[in-house]
Amino acid sequence: MASLDPRIRRAEPELWHIPPLPLEPLGHWQTYEVFILRTRGSHAQHVGSLHAPDAEMALILAKEQYARRSQCVALWVVPTDSILWTSPEDEDLFLPATDKTYREPQGYLHTRERLNKYRDRLKPSAS
Amino acid sequence: MIEVLESLVLSLADDELLIGHRHAEWIGLGPILEEDIAFASIAQDETGHAQAYYQLLTDIGLRTPDEYAFRREPSAFRSAHLVELPNFEYDYGLALMRHFLYDAAEQVRLEALRQSCYEPLAGLACRLLREEKYHWMHAQLWIKRLGCSTEEAHSRLQSALNQLLPYAWMLFEELPNEEEIVAAGWMPPSTELHRQWIARITPILEEAHLSLSPPRPDQLLPLQGARRGARSPYFEELYAEMTEVVASDPEAEW
Amino acid sequence: MYGNLTIRPEDIENWGKKVQEEDPEKLAQFEARIARGEKIEPHDWMPFEYRRQLIRLIEQHAHSEIIGALPEGTWITRAPNFRRKLALMAKVQDEVGHAQLLYSAAETLGKSREEMINDLLSGKSKYSNVFNYPAQTWADTAVIAWLVDAGAIINQTTNSKGSYGPYIRALERICWEESFHLKYGYDSVVYLATGTPRQRAMLQDALNRWWRPIMHFFGPPDTQSVHTEKLIKWKVKLATNDEMRQQFLDMYVPKIWELGLTIPDPYLRKNPETGRWEYSDPDWDEFWRVINGDGPCNKERLAVRRFAEEKGRWVREAIRLPSARYVTPLA
Repeated sequence: MASLDPRIRRAEPELWHIPPLPLEPLGHWQTYEVFILRTRGSHAQHVGSLHAPDAEMALILAKEQYARRSQCVALWVVPTDSILWTSPEDEDLFLPATDKTYREPQGYLHTRERLNKYRDRLKPSAS
Repeated sequence: MIEVLESLVLSLADDELLIGHRHAEWIGLGPILEEDIAFASIAQDETGHAQAYYQLLTDIGLRTPDEYAFRREPSAFRSAHLVELPNFEYDYGLALMRHFLYDAAEQVRLEALRQSCYEPLAGLACRLLREEKYHWMHAQLWIKRLGCSTEEAHSRLQSALNQLLPYAWMLFEELPNEEEIVAAGWMPPSTELHRQWIARITPILEEAHLSLSPPRPDQLLPLQGARRGARSPYFEELYAEMTEVVASDPEAEW
Repeated sequence: MYGNLTIRPEDIENWGKKVQEEDPEKLAQFEARIARGEKIEPHDWMPFEYRRQLIRLIEQHAHSEIIGALPEGTWITRAPNFRRKLALMAKVQDEVGHAQLLYSAAETLGKSREEMINDLLSGKSKYSNVFNYPAQTWADTAVIAWLVDAGAIINQTTNSKGSYGPYIRALERICWEESFHLKYGYDSVVYLATGTPRQRAMLQDALNRWWRPIMHFFGPPDTQSVHTEKLIKWKVKLATNDEMRQQFLDMYVPKIWELGLTIPDPYLRKNPETGRWEYSDPDWDEFWRVINGDGPCNKERLAVRRFAEEKGRWVREAIRLPSARYVTPLA
């Protein structure tokens, strides 16, 4: 059956004679991780990865795959293999074993109570 | 004078329309997904530029962008033959080289048009240059990378350059009524733009170790007259395809 | 766009054994995490079968996107006005972009993009059947963009409640972009439905041709497809094929009727007692025939993908750095 696609009709008959050569490892290049700065003053955010032959090309290609619609003021790319990560087995690293509220604002919820008590004490007794 | 303005704007717009059309033929067939996406954006941008140019004519009471692009008689097109060329064997070297040569020219043209005494054109040029920046970054990086890579890539680029150069040269063929256009301050002379274009592509081609030898007159001769209505042999098929749906039901809105 | 994960009996037999070989303590922790509604991330321990089924699911989804770019890509050069031409370019570009995102998500599970594409081109790995049908007229592109993408949204929204982090992150963006496709498709369909007699006829004709592939889109009926409690427990599969098909019919049949179109199934009706849609058998034998390679466009679709890969080979090879080293992408 002749193709209904005019582009493909133009490519015939070569189309039907392409040998099924498999792609080799790295046939689609290595990967980069892409970070996007959505507005000035915001943190860069990881948005995904892409395949590119080098960092400069990665930036050019990331621009259209990761910023063609979303608001963006800057892009970063990092070779995937330069990133180190903590193991999921070490997720407990992030859990405190003892009460650490002394270093959080919520640890200081009773200051006003203390002051109020003191002022109550200072009040002349009603006798 | 309005005819002169129309023919100037049509030559700009038709180039954009058809280069966008040809670039769009690559969507879904690009050499790698990431590049497929990037090139599809460039195709959209160019098509959008065409629409914006035609709109300048609509704004002065002439036809609408859709009428110009999809319902105009083929003899009224003013595109350069460079943008009518098909993608032949789907050699990405050829696609990139055309993109490079064309976008260098577009950039030169737009930079000049920023100073146009026809204010709507000047305003539009300022806006379009924003997208042109990415096109140029994309084009020159690819040409430099491939030019400095393997022997195969280099020779593909060189033969693409040899094949396309006479066509690209003719992007700057003198426009009909060019004297009036220049006198009105709408656009500088084509020879001036041509000079700037060569200055823009030369250093990149050198960096890519590609050699540029000016086309011979016998190569240019058959390409003459595009801005006066002489179409390339490839136009007829392109036009039939582009207007196929519209022609199937001329009364319809889509 | 995307079709459904089809689970074959032979796969289930294989995984039944393998899951039993997994470390029971780790497996219990893994399942408890999913039960709590937490997501699994690429570096987490996961049962081999979870990994394998997810790769299959995401890979099929990615293939469907890249192949799905072809039937509509056909019409870009023929689109009838600027608005449609630009929108169609953007839509097909999105499909390529979705393939990129999904291949990346699948890569995090340890299969490289090259291996996935090789499996696509050799026919080992499947993609959604719906893309093995041709887009014969402009109206086909409108019907695809509206109804096939509507089906895809139902499917993907369901999948986006799944357990695997990279996949749901990709789906979040994909669903957003698909909603543009749906609006574009509906707008195109409405123009045809409210247009000239010739346009209406063209639209009805396209609907007639696409109805069956769309009914097939969600996969075989629940009575024929093998379900596994495991995949549901692991939140790899979140709704049955029939559930999704019913949801689609609920949402879109009234909209199709509103346009005055005829759905080519005289038995289609909503049973007022059960609240379920009833329809005639959409020929599931055809579904299996097409999945096994014998559809109207299977051969062309793969030939075109192979063509694109081969045409791009010298480009990719030329600028690949000798020092390049592949590592699995992070997320």
